[in-house]
Amino acid sequence: MRIAMLGWEFPPFVSGGLGVHCYELTHQLAKMGHKVDFFMPGCGQELKSGNENIRLLAVERSYLNPYFSISKKGKIATYGKDLLNAVKAYGKAASKMVEKENVLKKYDVVHCHDWLTAKAGKFSAGAVGAPLVQTIHSTEYDRASSPWEVILGVEREAVKEADLIIAVSRRTAMRVKEMGADEKKIKIIYNAVDASKYAHKHGHEFSSSVREKKKVLFLGRLTEQKGPVQFLHAAKKVLDKKKDVIFFVAGTGEMLPLLINLSIELGIKDNVKFLGFLPDNDQKKIYSACDVYVMPSTSEPFGIVALEAMAAGTPVIISKSSGVSEVVKSALRVDFWDIDGMAQKILGVLVYPPLGRAMTEMEPNDLMHLTWEKTAKETLKAYNDALSLYSEKKNRK
Amino acid sequence: MKVCFYFQVHQPMRLAQFSVFSKKGETVFGRYFDEGLNKQILDKVAAKCYLPTNRMLLQCLEKNPQLHLSFSITGVFLEQARLYNPEVMESFRSLAKTGRVEFLSETYYHSLSSLFDEKKEFEQQLKLHETAISEFTKPSKVLRNTEAMFSNNIAKMAEGMGYEGIMAEGIESMLGWRSPTYLYSVHGTQKIKALLRHYKLSDDIGYRFSQKSWNQWPLTAPKYAKWLSEIEGDCVNLFMDYETFGEHHWEDTGIREFLSGTFDEISKYSSLEFATPSQIAKDTEAKGEIDSPEVVSWADNERDTSAWLGNEMQRSCFSEITALEKQVKEINDSELTRVWRHLQNSDHLYYCCTKSLSDQDVHNYFSPYESPFDSYINYMNILQDLKSEINERMRK
Repeated sequence: MRIAMLGWEFPPFVSGGLGVHCYELTHQLAKMGHKVDFFMPGCGQELKSGNENIRLLAVERSYLNPYFSISKKGKIATYGKDLLNAVKAYGKAASKMVEKENVLKKYDVVHCHDWLTAKAGKFSAGAVGAPLVQTIHSTEYDRASSPWEVILGVEREAVKEADLIIAVSRRTAMRVKEMGADEKKIKIIYNAVDASKYAHKHGHEFSSSVREKKKVLFLGRLTEQKGPVQFLHAAKKVLDKKKDVIFFVAGTGEMLPLLINLSIELGIKDNVKFLGFLPDNDQKKIYSACDVYVMPSTSEPFGIVALEAMAAGTPVIISKSSGVSEVVKSALRVDFWDIDGMAQKILGVLVYPPLGRAMTEMEPNDLMHLTWEKTAKETLKAYNDALSLYSEKKNRK
Repeated sequence: MKVCFYFQVHQPMRLAQFSVFSKKGETVFGRYFDEGLNKQILDKVAAKCYLPTNRMLLQCLEKNPQLHLSFSITGVFLEQARLYNPEVMESFRSLAKTGRVEFLSETYYHSLSSLFDEKKEFEQQLKLHETAISEFTKPSKVLRNTEAMFSNNIAKMAEGMGYEGIMAEGIESMLGWRSPTYLYSVHGTQKIKALLRHYKLSDDIGYRFSQKSWNQWPLTAPKYAKWLSEIEGDCVNLFMDYETFGEHHWEDTGIREFLSGTFDEISKYSSLEFATPSQIAKDTEAKGEIDSPEVVSWADNERDTSAWLGNEMQRSCFSEITALEKQVKEINDSELTRVWRHLQNSDHLYYCCTKSLSDQDVHNYFSPYESPFDSYINYMNILQDLKSEINERMRK
């Protein structure tokens, strides 16, 4: 099959789960012998996939960035004010490229990811006459506490236009349905993890003052959605009962200054370490260096990071408001607003060593069922479903 | 051939969601146990199973003078029935009054005390149970240890305490080619006889009765009685949870009609007669010897102690609770001892089980916790609190 995939981020230009998903999915599809052309915003650097079945194609240099990015001065750039126009412009440019490539060799399916590429997907599928598959990794309701109507509009249109929608979890599928999508064209395909990438990584080199202490990890963008405030409040509760614990906050984002202030206000600043954005390799190390990973997200469509921590053999505590909590049994689950419960579970793992060991022992059972190979196979089935839905639609017309 | 029906009656004293941040409850007992939840569940199961099934059994006993039945009721259950639902207590008393229902011996607290290094606690809990049962009937000389846990050593302890019979699971690992439909003596003992559960025929009722995918579904009373009549041996022991009738299988599956119908059908066969475990132990000779150095039970596919002690969390709970014996007995406070013993209930360990999927599903069905990990945290938090309580009292 020949697939035109419209993405937004791709390792090493990556800020979240969407990029990881696209990388692993394209590589698995390539392994099965399918050809993927991956269109993404140009970033001024040369794009190379290193795989003969995958071509990375840069759409003109865009001033749009996924979610956020950090400038060289450490400032956080957010969406431009002409966002919708920029998205449209990007969509037009991308679809022109897809159309050009299609002339040389026809695409069987157009696959786009999230709202930022939805327009590009719609234009492209229309231009080349192929079914449109739309994956929803997250919705505006997940990302923002006060959702932006403009983006909601794009998302509603995206799920309406797509021939088939892939949701990364049951909760995301519910959201998509609420947006008005026809239930019959929604398919749930869970994310996965390449466990081999995270196993047996040597831990961080810590100073002696940290080495002796128990370590608790938060890792994610510092936005309300990821629940870092809840994490710090739980940290405070834990420290009331047990002093020798360090809480790592890995990641950056708009809430960083607020969180630093909060750690001071709570009187726990000496026990909270802000690590900033961690490059891939450091991320892998920090998982296994910590005694427990906590994902207190208020709304997490999936939560690949939890699987990464599990793959590193670290016990995980995950929000019940997450897609990953639908598929793992070896985790402790918590309501993001239940600070006492969260603290109690963190303490449980820290003070009762058999607990963490039992959780770790169970993790491979979960991960066994969550491979990118499986995700890709199911995605391929979704492409075939999209093709039949598409031809049905054409016949009706 | 003798047909022995025995029903296990038990409800654990479930724990409260204990918070390390806010201690609620004035008494130690109130702090650790969720009385509201326990009453709620007892009332629910009483309405679905205990009361209507007891009523039905009483009618069957009145109608059929040949019928003999047996129960084993834990002390934990009796305690709750007395506290929360006296009507349930009364209905068991009525069954006892017929004189044709035997109530077996077991540990009052449905505990793993038979696995303690010292046998004293086991003996004490059997004694406590005997006292509780004596309130409405004559105690039995046949022991049904918690979850049918059985080994040479347990049989030997039981014999030492005067028991004439002991129940065990009739599994191949112990029997080899031999059949569970005979009585057996136990290696290393003098005269105690082992009554073995016929797990296939027992589970046909207990598990498979309402399984539509089962090739024998629907199971009818004539068919089941015919199966019994075709068995060779001296006795067939059909042991199952009493909650089978109305709770595991709901009323609309016809489970109760099936049971009363089965009694009627059995009576039609001259080769079959009803008997209680004591009657069987008294009248029947042992046909061979079984040898079980390891503990076997009726739980899970493994039929060993792994449902309660299979993982490290469970073993740490067990070793911590047993380690408190000396101090608890030294303090000798009735409430503290009672709490310590309720915490020995095997169900608390069962909820911490992390076995592979098929078994895990059964564990989840019974567990009030979201996961075995949550169960473990809660149990350990309570245990730490109990320890500090004990330390405080030791200082006084």
